[in-house]
Amino acid sequence: MRWLSDFIKTLQPTIREWRLSFYLLNRNWLQRVALIVIALLVLIAIFAPLISPYPSHAISATNPKDKLLPPSSRYLFGTDELGRDLFSRVIFGTRISLQTALIAVGLALLIGVPLGAIAGGLGGAADEIIMRITDIFLSFPPLLLAIAISAFLGPSLQNAMLAIAVSWWPWYTRIIRGQAVSIRERQFVRAARAIGTPTFRIIFSHILPNTMAPVIVQASMDIGGVILTIAALSFLGLGAQPPTPEWGLLISTSRTYFLNAWWYSTFPGIAIFVTVLVFNLIGDGVREVLDPRTRKF
Amino acid sequence: MPGYFEIQNLSVGFRTFEGERRVLDIERLVIGRGETYGLVGESGAGKTVLALTILGLLPKPAAVVHSGSIWFDGQDLLQKGEKELYARYRGKRLAMIFQDPMSTLNPVFTVGQQIARVVEKQQGLRGAAVAKRSLELLEMVKLPDAQSTLKKYPHELSGGQRQRVIIAIALSCGAEFLIADEPTRNLDVTIQAGILKLIGDLQKDLGISVLFIANNVGLVNVFCKNAGILYHGKLVEDGPSELVIRAAKHPYTQTLISAIPRDKSEKLKFASTVIKPEAQRGCPYYSRCNLAESICFDRMPMLETSSSGQKVACFMAEKQ
Amino acid sequence: MKKFILRRLLLGIIVLLGVALLTFFLARVVPSDPAAKWAGPRATPEQIARATIELGLDKPLYVQFGKYLLDLLQGNLGYSLRTRRPITLELQESLPATIELVLISTIAAVFVGIPLGVISAKRKDQLIDHLSRLFSIGVVSLPTFWIGLILQLVFFRVLGLFPMGGQLSTEIKITMDIPKVTGFIMFDSLVTGNFRIFLDALWHIVLPGITIGMYPVGLVARMTRSALLEILNEDYITAARSYGLSERIVLWSYALKNSIGPTSTVVALSIGYTLVNTFLTESIFTWPGIGNYIASAVIGLDYPAIMGVTIFSAFSYVVLNLIADIIIALDPRVRV
Repeated sequence: MRWLSDFIKTLQPTIREWRLSFYLLNRNWLQRVALIVIALLVLIAIFAPLISPYPSHAISATNPKDKLLPPSSRYLFGTDELGRDLFSRVIFGTRISLQTALIAVGLALLIGVPLGAIAGGLGGAADEIIMRITDIFLSFPPLLLAIAISAFLGPSLQNAMLAIAVSWWPWYTRIIRGQAVSIRERQFVRAARAIGTPTFRIIFSHILPNTMAPVIVQASMDIGGVILTIAALSFLGLGAQPPTPEWGLLISTSRTYFLNAWWYSTFPGIAIFVTVLVFNLIGDGVREVLDPRTRKF
Repeated sequence: MPGYFEIQNLSVGFRTFEGERRVLDIERLVIGRGETYGLVGESGAGKTVLALTILGLLPKPAAVVHSGSIWFDGQDLLQKGEKELYARYRGKRLAMIFQDPMSTLNPVFTVGQQIARVVEKQQGLRGAAVAKRSLELLEMVKLPDAQSTLKKYPHELSGGQRQRVIIAIALSCGAEFLIADEPTRNLDVTIQAGILKLIGDLQKDLGISVLFIANNVGLVNVFCKNAGILYHGKLVEDGPSELVIRAAKHPYTQTLISAIPRDKSEKLKFASTVIKPEAQRGCPYYSRCNLAESICFDRMPMLETSSSGQKVACFMAEKQ
Repeated sequence: MKKFILRRLLLGIIVLLGVALLTFFLARVVPSDPAAKWAGPRATPEQIARATIELGLDKPLYVQFGKYLLDLLQGNLGYSLRTRRPITLELQESLPATIELVLISTIAAVFVGIPLGVISAKRKDQLIDHLSRLFSIGVVSLPTFWIGLILQLVFFRVLGLFPMGGQLSTEIKITMDIPKVTGFIMFDSLVTGNFRIFLDALWHIVLPGITIGMYPVGLVARMTRSALLEILNEDYITAARSYGLSERIVLWSYALKNSIGPTSTVVALSIGYTLVNTFLTESIFTWPGIGNYIASAVIGLDYPAIMGVTIFSAFSYVVLNLIADIIIALDPRVRV
C-alpha cells in the first residue's frame, strides 16, 4: 500500500491547485453563471431534436405559406424566407457550432501537441525548425489564414474545420513546448534518461502527460473564439452551405431580408454572442486564476 | 501614555482560500524619539508586513488588521483614514526605504523626475526651486556628480547609487521616522558599509528615529540601541541590543547568533533539531525548538522581563 | 541595441519568406489542379493551358517558387479573374478606404480602450471593474458582421440617423467633384476645404467605424487592465505611495507609463484583427475597401484575388509588428 500513499502525496499539490482554481472561479458570480450557461448549451446541443418544435425545419423542409413571419407563440424566433421555424434552426445550430468547434480544436491539438512535445523534448535543431514554423503561421493575422485555406480547399463545413485546425495548432505547440522545456530538466526525466530510456519514449510517456493540463485549459478557453471563426467563415460563404442551419450562414442569408425582418438576423446573432461570451468569461477567469502574477487571494 | 512610537497588541492576518493566516502578532514594541531600533527575523517572519502596516499600505482586501494600535507622536495611525495618512503622514513624517533598490525606482522616469514629483507634491516647490532642492538632496546622500545623476534613468545607476537616490527621495520632505527595510540586502558587501554609514549619519544629523529591519543580527548590534527578534510574526525577544545579542535568552535568538561564524577556525554549527508538529495554539517556535516541553505546545508564551533585563517570550528562558 | 534591431529585421525577413512559402504551397501545391483554380471556374481548356505556362507549373517546384518570389518582389500578384486587371492595382485603389476604417478603430482603441483599462484596474473587483470587464469581454465576443447588421437595423431602418452604407452619398458623388490628393476622402476633402464632402464622409463612416472599432477597444481595455494590475504589484508603486504621492499620479503616470510596452504590442495586434474584421464588415456597408474586395472574390471564386489579399495582409501585418517591436526597443526606458 506504500505506493498508494506515495501516489496520493504526489497528487496533493495538484489537488490543492484544483481546489484553489475552483475556489477562485466559483467566487465570481459572473463566472458561475457562465458555467451554468455552458452546461445548458451542451444540453441543448445534445437534445436538439427533442427541444426544437419543428425538427424537420432544421434542414430542408419548406413551409412557404408561413414565410418571414415575426416572432409569435407558434414561431418563437419567427420564420425565414422558406417559412422554416428559426427557433428550431438556431437550436440545431447550437449542435453544429459546438460540434464543429470541438472537432476543430481537437484537430489542432492533434497537430500541435506532438510537435510541441518533440520541439521541447528534443531541443536543438528540431526545436528551432518547429518553432520557426509556428512563427510563420502566427504571423498571419487571425482568421486570414483560415479564409485562404478554406477558399482553396473549397467551401464546406469540413474544410472550414480543417482550415481552422491548420491555422490554430501553433498556439498549442508553443504552450506544450514551453512546458516540455521546463519538465525536460526535472529529476524524473533525468532519471529516465540515465537508465537509457529511448528519447521518443521519454517524450511521449514522461514529458507529454505532464504538459497536458495547461494546454487542455487553453483549448477549452479557445472554443469561443473557434465558434466565432466558424461563423465568420460561414458568413463569408466559406463554411457551412445551405440548408445547414449554421449560425453564421443564417446571418449571411438573412442579409437579403433583415431590413424588413429584424428577427431573422437578430436571434442567430444573439446565439453566437451568448455562446462565445460564456466561453470567453470562463477563459478570462481561468487565465486570471492560472496566472501567478494576478493570482491574488 | 504611549511612547513616541509604540505598537500595542497588533494583529494582522492574510485571507487565503484555506482560511485566514496570522502573519503578525506583536504585543508591544517601543521606539523612542531619535532612537534606532533593530528588528531581526528570517524571511517570511512578517518584517515587511509590519512596515507596510505602519504606513497603511497593506494590500487590501487580502490583508486584515484585526486589532491593536500603532501610536506615533500621540496619534493612533491605525485609526487614521486613508485621506489623513496620505495628506499628513506618508512621505511627510513617515518614510520608508525598501529592500531592493533595483525595483524601488520607477524604470521609466529619470532620477530627477522622480525626486521632483515628490518634492513638488510634499513641499509645494515649483520651477528652479525644485531643481535646487533635488541637487541638495543628492548631495545630502553624498552622491558624486549630482547634476548628471538627475538626468539619468535608474538602469544607468549602480545598486549603491540607486539606494542613495531612494534614501534621498524618502527623506526629501523632512520625515522624522524612517523605516529601513533591509536596505542593504541586495547590495555588494563593499557597498553595504557605505549605505549603513549614510543611514547612521543621517539619523544623527537629522535626529530622526529609525526602525531598522534586518535579517542579520550582526548589523543590529553595531547599529541599534534596542533590538527585537521576530519569529513567525511574533516578537520573541526585545530589549537593549547588547543584551539581546550577547545574552540571548530565547532559543531562537540563540540559534540565530550561533549561526554567525566568529573566526575561520570555527566550524559552522548547524542546529540539529527533531522536527515536531506545529503547535496550533502554543509557541510558534515549538516545532523547531530543542528545549520545548508540553506547555509550549499548549500555551502561547508572553513577553516577560527576564533576569538579565530584556523581555523574552519563552517558558524555558529561565530554565537554561 | 543595433544588434537587437538587426536580429529582429533578419527574423522579420525569414518570417516574410516563410509567409511566401506557405502561401505558395496553399496556392500551387495543395489544390489538385492549380491551373484550373488560377484560370477560374468557367475557363476553357486553352485558358487552363495558358495558366499552366504562366505559372510555370510544368517546371520543377523550386523554379516555380523562384518565379513566385520574383513576382512578389516586383509587386506582381497576378490578374483578377473577374475584372482581368492587375490585382496590385485593384488593391492600391481599395487600400485608402480600408486604412481610413482601420485608423479610426485604432484611435478608438487607444482613446477609449486604454482609459477603460486603467479605470478597471484602479477599481479592481468593484462594480465599475465588473461592468467594464463585462463590456470588454462582451465586445470581443460579438460577431462583427452581426453588429454591422444590427447597427444598420437600428440607426438606418428604425431611427434613420445614418446612411446604410457607402463612403459618400450618391447625390454628392454625382453633383460634386471629389478631390483626389492622397485617395483618403476625409483627408483630401479637408485639405481642399470641401467641408460638405468631409461631413458627408464623416456621416458615412460612423456605423462601419463603430462596428470595426468595438473589438480593438475591448482587446486594448482588457490588456491594459491586466498589464496595469501586474505593474501595480511592483515595489516602485508601493514606494511611490509611501512617498505620499497621490493615487492619481501613481496610476496615470507612474504605472501607466510602464505599461507602454505591452499596450503598444496589443495595439499592433489589434490592427491585425481590425484588418481581418474589415473582411467581414465592408461588404455589409458596401465600403469600397480591401475587405469588400476579398468578400466578392470569395463569392466569385476569384482565387488569384483571394491569394493577393492574403499575401498583402500577411505582409503588412508582419511589417507592422516589426515596426512596433523596433519602436519599443528604441525607447531606452521601456527596455530595462
